[in-house]
Amino acid sequence: MIQRSLRLIGGPADIGRTPLFWVGFAVAVAFFLLYPTQVSSFRASNVAYYLLNVPMGLGMALLWGYCGVLSFGHVAYFGIAAYLYGIIAGNMAGSSWGPLVGVGGGLLGCAIVAAIFGYFVFYARVQKWIIPILTLVFTLLLETFLGQTAGYQWRVGTVLLGGYNGMTGIPWFQLGGFVFEGYSFYYLCLGIVILTYFGLRMLMNAKFGQVVVAMREDELRTEMLGFDTRFRQCAVFVISAMLAGLSGLLYVQWGNYITPSQVGLLQAALPVVWTAVGGRTSLLAVVIATIVLNWLTYTLSSQGNQYAMVIIGGLLVVTMMFFPRGIVVMLAETIGRRPWRRRQAAEGRS
Amino acid sequence: MSESLPLAASLIYQIGATAAFLFLAAVGLVIILGMMNIINLAHGELMMMGAYAATITHHAGLPFWAAVIASFFVVAIFGAIMELTIIRRFYGRELGALVVTWGISLIMGQGAFLVFGPFMQAIKIPGGSFSYGAFSFSEYWIVLMLVSLLLVLALWLVYNKTTYGLQAKASMQNAEMARSLGVPTKRIYTLTFALGAGLAGLSGALLAPTATIAPFMGQQFVAPAFITVVVGGGANVISGAVGSGVLLALIKTPVGMALGAFSGTVALLIAALIIIRIMPDGISARLQRVFDRRVQKRQS
Repeated sequence: MIQRSLRLIGGPADIGRTPLFWVGFAVAVAFFLLYPTQVSSFRASNVAYYLLNVPMGLGMALLWGYCGVLSFGHVAYFGIAAYLYGIIAGNMAGSSWGPLVGVGGGLLGCAIVAAIFGYFVFYARVQKWIIPILTLVFTLLLETFLGQTAGYQWRVGTVLLGGYNGMTGIPWFQLGGFVFEGYSFYYLCLGIVILTYFGLRMLMNAKFGQVVVAMREDELRTEMLGFDTRFRQCAVFVISAMLAGLSGLLYVQWGNYITPSQVGLLQAALPVVWTAVGGRTSLLAVVIATIVLNWLTYTLSSQGNQYAMVIIGGLLVVTMMFFPRGIVVMLAETIGRRPWRRRQAAEGRS
Repeated sequence: MSESLPLAASLIYQIGATAAFLFLAAVGLVIILGMMNIINLAHGELMMMGAYAATITHHAGLPFWAAVIASFFVVAIFGAIMELTIIRRFYGRELGALVVTWGISLIMGQGAFLVFGPFMQAIKIPGGSFSYGAFSFSEYWIVLMLVSLLLVLALWLVYNKTTYGLQAKASMQNAEMARSLGVPTKRIYTLTFALGAGLAGLSGALLAPTATIAPFMGQQFVAPAFITVVVGGGANVISGAVGSGVLLALIKTPVGMALGAFSGTVALLIAALIIIRIMPDGISARLQRVFDRRVQKRQS
């Protein structure tokens, strides 16, 4: 069992398979584990915000990089999960298990909406460019809908949807009596990031993942080999929507509020930017890019810098023009071709 | 009887206005998509640019119609620059083009905000309104319907009667063959992108009096424009845009009148999902097939 999962992790679906890489990886994890002991809970909470976006970035990498299907509306699932959590946990405010039910409800809601949407687009076998556009339209409509839910008539149970002001007072996540806030929430995010990363890496090295990559390379041929491509594309879409939902859940548990602008056009751009800049064919590169770019956006906008969006847009254009496979992936490849290794190879040949 | 005639007129007017809006919002997009296979997500921002160009020149003293035409050229030149510097690298990479144009749209939206601030004084709607029965009709929207028809006619003439149109269609069908026959495909692509961008600017300028002039106004055109294009399909873009504009107007108008504007837009998305489930290549492919069959029947 353990041997099998180790073999799956070591498979060819992501960069970084050398022992040196794993040493670096362990150092990075150790850094994140020890980080909160050295800084204030405010700084730790900021880093938790960078981390909680990672599942959504990984979902984009899975969908776009590994499956070849692009979605511009993944923030819609972020929002659906967040709002559902707010509604369920808010209505069960007395119960200590309310947040857990909220998490389940949020993820289930994401899965259902994504499955319906996926049924229409994948079973119709639409051309590849239609899916990003319809997902984008979907998230824009969701934003408009949530924006006009101001007022007392828009309430579910005791929870107000709140229109453009958003939903406030959303409870922390808790398991029984244990409430995740401050440092414990940071470790919750870190644990989820590490688990999703390894889970996806194993999934992509397993047979399912190999078929997914085969569909990206040649959909018709994969289908001729006897795989139901429509179902698999739909499944990948649902998984990646649920990952976006996971980020949404962590987001409302982190900030205790959500506004419709979280599913708006500017937010919708962000997962695509993280994935493109990192390199969509590598899960690890997307993790790195998500953390770094969130840090960059946060630092820029917290200084009142209005150029943040221009810089992010410019980064996207530059990446697509000059580093089409992603900046992190191309850097990793450059490091992988260290001069001493080339010399070694030359000596080996002679 | 005296009540039903104005009601019918009002219904036709509403549907016509919605169809004109959808067609205008989508026309620049479909030219670029159909002729170059590039999905331009900066389309909404190009319309915003057209609206700003028209508003600024109009406030500077230009008559409205001259301002509209000026905005066509301003945005067309911008489009040509965009094609020469960026879009050129993305031919044959549909998803890459989508993402890079989205990056451009982010820069343009925020850029307009930084340069012009959050608001700009709007243009007053030219022309008045008249009433028939219990309903009132805006003269400007009737003009916009006529302008849409004129645009369809003009585009048909350009693509069927000019050398540029012939060369553009040749480049679309088989770029390599066209190149070896001496068609300057690169210049054709630049011109086509400039034309599509210019039309987006023209539409933005035409719709400017009916909208709020703001840096992110492009977003409101994104949903209707792209739904129109998705439903229309890529086989014959102009007839596709006209067909899907009319069809979607027939769906949106009654729903919007009964349940409010937002429900109308939701009905658009649901209609689009169902239509692509039935006809994955859009209306234009279906129209093309019907047309081909009729021609075959006549020949046999």
